Amino acid sequence: MAATRATRIAALTAGLSLLVGVSACATDSGGTTDDPIVIGASLPLTGEFSQGGLDTQQGYEVWVEMTNETGGILGRDVEIVIRDDATNQNTVVTNYNNLISVDDVDLLLGSQSSLLNIPASSVAERNEMVFVCPSCGSPDMFNRGFEFIFFSQQAVATDQARVFAEWIAALPEDQRPKTAAYPSLDDPFAGPVVDGAEAILSAAGIETVYKDIYPATTKNFDSIVAAIAASGAEMVVQGAQFEDGVNFVRSMNRAGYEPDILYQSSSPTYGQQYFDGVGEDNTQGVFFSSSYNSVASTPGNAEFVAKYEEMFGGIPPEDAADGFAAGEVLKAAAEAVGGIDDQRALADWIRANEVQTILGTLSWNENGSPKGDFLVGQWQDGSAQIVLPAEAATSETIFRWRGAAFE
Amino acid sequence: MIALTQTLILGVLAGAVYALMASGLTLIFGVMRVINIAHGAFAVLAAFLTYSLWSAFGLDPLLAIPFIMVVMFGIGWVVYQGAVRHSRGSHVSMTVLVTFGIALVLEGVMGIIWGNRSASIRTDYTDASVEVGPFFFPQVQLLAAAIAVVVLIALYFLLNKTWLGRAIRAASVNESGALLVGVSVAAVAALTFAIGIATLGAGGAMLGAIQPIVPGTHYQWIARLLAIIVLGGLGSLPGAVIGAMIIGVTEMLATTYVGSAWPVAVPFLIIFIVLIVRPQGIMGARLREDLVS
Repeated sequence: MAATRATRIAALTAGLSLLVGVSACATDSGGTTDDPIVIGASLPLTGEFSQGGLDTQQGYEVWVEMTNETGGILGRDVEIVIRDDATNQNTVVTNYNNLISVDDVDLLLGSQSSLLNIPASSVAERNEMVFVCPSCGSPDMFNRGFEFIFFSQQAVATDQARVFAEWIAALPEDQRPKTAAYPSLDDPFAGPVVDGAEAILSAAGIETVYKDIYPATTKNFDSIVAAIAASGAEMVVQGAQFEDGVNFVRSMNRAGYEPDILYQSSSPTYGQQYFDGVGEDNTQGVFFSSSYNSVASTPGNAEFVAKYEEMFGGIPPEDAADGFAAGEVLKAAAEAVGGIDDQRALADWIRANEVQTILGTLSWNENGSPKGDFLVGQWQDGSAQIVLPAEAATSETIFRWRGAAFE
Repeated sequence: MIALTQTLILGVLAGAVYALMASGLTLIFGVMRVINIAHGAFAVLAAFLTYSLWSAFGLDPLLAIPFIMVVMFGIGWVVYQGAVRHSRGSHVSMTVLVTFGIALVLEGVMGIIWGNRSASIRTDYTDASVEVGPFFFPQVQLLAAAIAVVVLIALYFLLNKTWLGRAIRAASVNESGALLVGVSVAAVAALTFAIGIATLGAGGAMLGAIQPIVPGTHYQWIARLLAIIVLGGLGSLPGAVIGAMIIGVTEMLATTYVGSAWPVAVPFLIIFIVLIVRPQGIMGARLREDLVS
């Protein structure tokens, strides 16, 4: 009787092994032939950062469409699974865990904002999956010793305003502001942008007369602007997301406060939304840093702009372009390595190489932070222009906020 | 002294807008013991409706207010009959769950209709100020304050000078007694909910003119509005006004004199202190249950 039971167990075990083996073979076989490559991403499609999240989603979708039209990756079509994290740090972690363990995605793309990508990237790192994020410029992303995280823009937040600040610092003394105010959103990206600018401007002798951090719940900027106006600041450098940037400009108008120079980190890059929020007159002369210029002659940009226009209408916003570029980095790595299974090989390749994207040529430090410089943009006559560096400029004139041009 | 006065001016104007939005919330709680977590979402909905009227027909938000109030009254009545009514008489936590569900549904519906992107209303007065000596009074907030005064006075007369008002007050004080004297408490509750949402409609319309609106931002509003009515005393209309003024002024004072990061913390610190001294809030009445516990 015991022998019979042992036989049965052995037979069952063998049968199960065969079944598992057959299904594993089937999976392997499908996985290396014609099955689409599934890419997973979580984005803030609702909630506080939905503005940027929806733009990034469009960028991802344009990239998938164009990639499939040109043969996919390694001859396989690409599919993307996007989950909404509602701008919630807990949800974004759950989403990436589910993308990896439930949806069984092959590759990952990042979320939108450092706030969400900091926790999200921990999930990717723990699972040893490459994580190319289109919007994760906080220095806190890259000081954790992670090996699989890459930011697919030109510079981290502390360097985002560097080109702008160095230009201000180099102005002739009679044109250079003497005092500056630095209000900033309490955010791992916005704060370092302001800190980086202040370090350069202070070293140039521009006195800091106001510096403070406000929470994301701040809707009414009247008292903040009144305090800045009372400080007599001739220049304002604001670390802003979107809504706070718009509300800040509205409060400046109500207070009748008009500094010579106004720089906002992210808000002005939201194109039409920003234009509608503050009104055309108030956009004039607003500085911002930008990773993207829609009229740039970078490889593939004209095709991207045309496809975006076809799919969604209008000129692609910066976050859409950043999303597209993240996809380009992932594709370049996969095709150079010749596969997608060895994620460490993909990470090593990205770290050691340059990638041509619609944002320009991107390259990375050991910790996954990018090596380049941002463009400096300025709203002029109702449209966003690139004004610095000179070789990338689309406008040779640089204006004061709602005022005359610099000589 | 100029800075302090300017800060107080801005605080009172902000408080007036808060009062307009919080009045409906406290009214609804006073009559039905329903904590309407969807109140912020209804405010954002009113702002989006105002935005649509402005962008499609060029209708000024001020002129849109009567229409918005009527529409919000209707929406409030339908939502009450469809969902809130069923949680009346349940434990207050059940009403929190039901109205939280309504808030999520409203957020989703707004996302479908208007998208999860920012919408902005801009008129001649949204960025302008009235200057008096060294002080500035933001026009949009002056107008909102004026509307708050009109709506709150109208609400006061409704509650104190009309049969419906007496029925509402009777139902809020003693539901069984009101039933005994012939008040249809169910109908009064539906009307009260709808009136609360209608008054919020005026606040929501002005909210759209004051700042950009996004569906997901309603959570921030409900947190502030709940703080106001708890501070003023749950169910008390004068308490909501006083609470709104205190929160508005302390937010501005905290921003100016403590730091921009403190306008959330300082008002809550004040609420803690007030509630230690007066657990029922500034104008709230102590209930029999409170005394027993």
